[in-house]
Amino acid sequence: MAVIGSATDTLNTALKSNIVPDQEYLLQGSVLDQYVEVLLHRLRGLCDNVDSGPESFHDHELCFTLRATSGPGSAMVLPLRVRRALDVPEAPWQLRYVGQHELGDKNRPTVVRSSIDMACSSTIVEFLTELGCRMDFEYISRGYMFRKGRMKITVSKVFKMGGLTNKPGESVEPISQSYLVELSVLAPSGQDAIAEDMRVFAEQLKPLVHLEKIDYKRLAHLQ
Amino acid sequence: MERDLEQLHSALNYLKVLRSNVGQVFETVSNGLGANHGEEGKENKFMIELQELLTTVNNNLRDIETTVSNLTTPTGPFNLGNTSYLSQETTQERQALYSQLVNSYRWTDKVRDYSSLAGNILATNSVSKTYKTLSTTKRRKTQTSNHNVPPEVIESLITSIDRLFPDVTITASRPFAPNPIIQASLGRVLKSIIAFKGLMIEWVVVKAHSESNDLWTESRYRVLRKVTENCHAAMCHFHSPTMPELAVRSFMHWFHSYNTLFSSPCKRCGNYLHSNLPPTWRDLRTLEPYHEDCK
Amino acid sequence: MGVTVLQQFPIVENRTGPLTIDLLTKRISALGATQQGQFLVDCETFTSIQQLGHQRTVHVLHNSEQPATVFSILETGTKTIPLATDGLFDLLMTKMNNFYTAKKQTKVESKGPRFEIGDFLVKLGSVTITQNFKGVLVEVEYKPCVVPAMCWELMREFLQGFLGSSVPNTPPAYLQNRMQEIYTPIDTIHQYLEQFTMYRKSPGMRT
Repeated sequence: MAVIGSATDTLNTALKSNIVPDQEYLLQGSVLDQYVEVLLHRLRGLCDNVDSGPESFHDHELCFTLRATSGPGSAMVLPLRVRRALDVPEAPWQLRYVGQHELGDKNRPTVVRSSIDMACSSTIVEFLTELGCRMDFEYISRGYMFRKGRMKITVSKVFKMGGLTNKPGESVEPISQSYLVELSVLAPSGQDAIAEDMRVFAEQLKPLVHLEKIDYKRLAHLQ
Repeated sequence: MERDLEQLHSALNYLKVLRSNVGQVFETVSNGLGANHGEEGKENKFMIELQELLTTVNNNLRDIETTVSNLTTPTGPFNLGNTSYLSQETTQERQALYSQLVNSYRWTDKVRDYSSLAGNILATNSVSKTYKTLSTTKRRKTQTSNHNVPPEVIESLITSIDRLFPDVTITASRPFAPNPIIQASLGRVLKSIIAFKGLMIEWVVVKAHSESNDLWTESRYRVLRKVTENCHAAMCHFHSPTMPELAVRSFMHWFHSYNTLFSSPCKRCGNYLHSNLPPTWRDLRTLEPYHEDCK
Repeated sequence: MGVTVLQQFPIVENRTGPLTIDLLTKRISALGATQQGQFLVDCETFTSIQQLGHQRTVHVLHNSEQPATVFSILETGTKTIPLATDGLFDLLMTKMNNFYTAKKQTKVESKGPRFEIGDFLVKLGSVTITQNFKGVLVEVEYKPCVVPAMCWELMREFLQGFLGSSVPNTPPAYLQNRMQEIYTPIDTIHQYLEQFTMYRKSPGMRT
């Protein structure tokens, strides 16, 4: 009879054989409200889930950070995100760690960032708060999800949370006059071939939307 | 209605008699003089015979006229119900359907008569399978059938059961109208899926709350499989063709006693467990819990 | 998932752990149980670093009965918050090791054979803290029932029939406040944590 190994052993083996999907390949772009229908139409033609139509979602995302200063001038920061589906209340919540963006050199077609993604119970917000995390911001994201092989394409509108956080769906206002378009794949590290597929797919969406490697540091500089 | 029918029958009868007598007149006339009239005054005899026959015909005619005058004329076209559509049938081989329909109607009518007779006779003998004695006077209404009842009757039965026990919650679905399948949740203990055929319980499966509502797979727990078995026995026990509503009610009453499935010890041996099972049997009359081997 | 009761089985003097498990295996087999594999419950504890303010403890537990789930229990001193997540939470804990560090020498586990008998599931676990044998924990689950109050008497009868008089007449402390609630896997985890904490506090073997 097989002796059961501990969960940590199993995880280590999985990590060694490189099957844990902990890297996210990402391209982002945006499209103005009045052209979003055209883009959705285009995506419906290009993507896999043709028959069932696009899958809609309506999520609430809360962004936390765990911070501590380990010494003079050196702060440790651990960002954590919690997402929950407002339209499917019985679905599990989602906890996510997203690491630093790696833009890489010009030849690399997508942004790569480490990502740990897991389902969790609804006690997560209290858990994180008591753990010492601070909520930085939250928003509501509503839109459509498409699939093409391993790629995930989301077209979503981002809303500010109103004053009443406990009453989602009410008093929300859109952040901008456009939709956020994201093309992403979650894969084990080292599978750079997928990035090439993504570049090709992004090419097909031009000129409706330009999916690019967004450099967040530059955005911060603009503000 | 009944009287009308009788008069119509007698009128038709008189008509038949008239026809046969008229026929006889013509027969006599066409035969003419024969050997049976003898030799002497045969013309006279023939005339008398003919006269007698004509008097009978005359009498018959009068009879008919009186009965016909008593008949009421129908007020409008006859209402044949849905069968009138049969006349619009265009295919040749189906046009005979009407007579078949009438035949089968007569048949069911007879079956109904006989079965109510049989029901009466059987009710006086004590082969009845329920504890309640059946008396025809107490019966509120005659159910013509247990299989084919309007959905509202079943619906009201289900809601009345739902109201009867506060800890039983019932949700009904009708995959094949009008026969509903109900899920009766017994508190937090268990749930049962009950399929009805008209007012009769057709099938029962007992499962845990976490299991699927599928009617065909049995529970993965031994104790609930045992309870399912016992429910089948009770379903047959309580079954009563003449009082289907009572049968369902008594079954639900008995079933309700399983709300203490895990929490009550066996009445006989006083233990909770016997061969690793709690008391899975409930007495049909007293509803007391017993182990399979203790009852 | 049914109601589960976790009981400590006393170790009699000069009887070793494996011998005790052996004895219990013989007993349960004589009752008609069949062995269905092995089981393992483990627990690792992390404490917050000083810079995060007052000390908090995160216990991360795994149960082979729910192999795809990681259970965590956060103790703040005033509150206890349970959390159930996917297996990748372990990976997240490694990212967090700047904030929460694993306590030295505290990895506890209970493992051993797993038996099925009727609708009962019986697990005989030898408890070790960093490879040192500490005692025996017996877990009994009655699968069809989800409310502790309904089946406690029935389970007590089963436990006493199999473990003898060492089984108390009252339910475990953790369950006593939750007798009317629907039992969930996290409740089993809480019972294990309660027992593990007692093992950690007592030096040597618990008898």
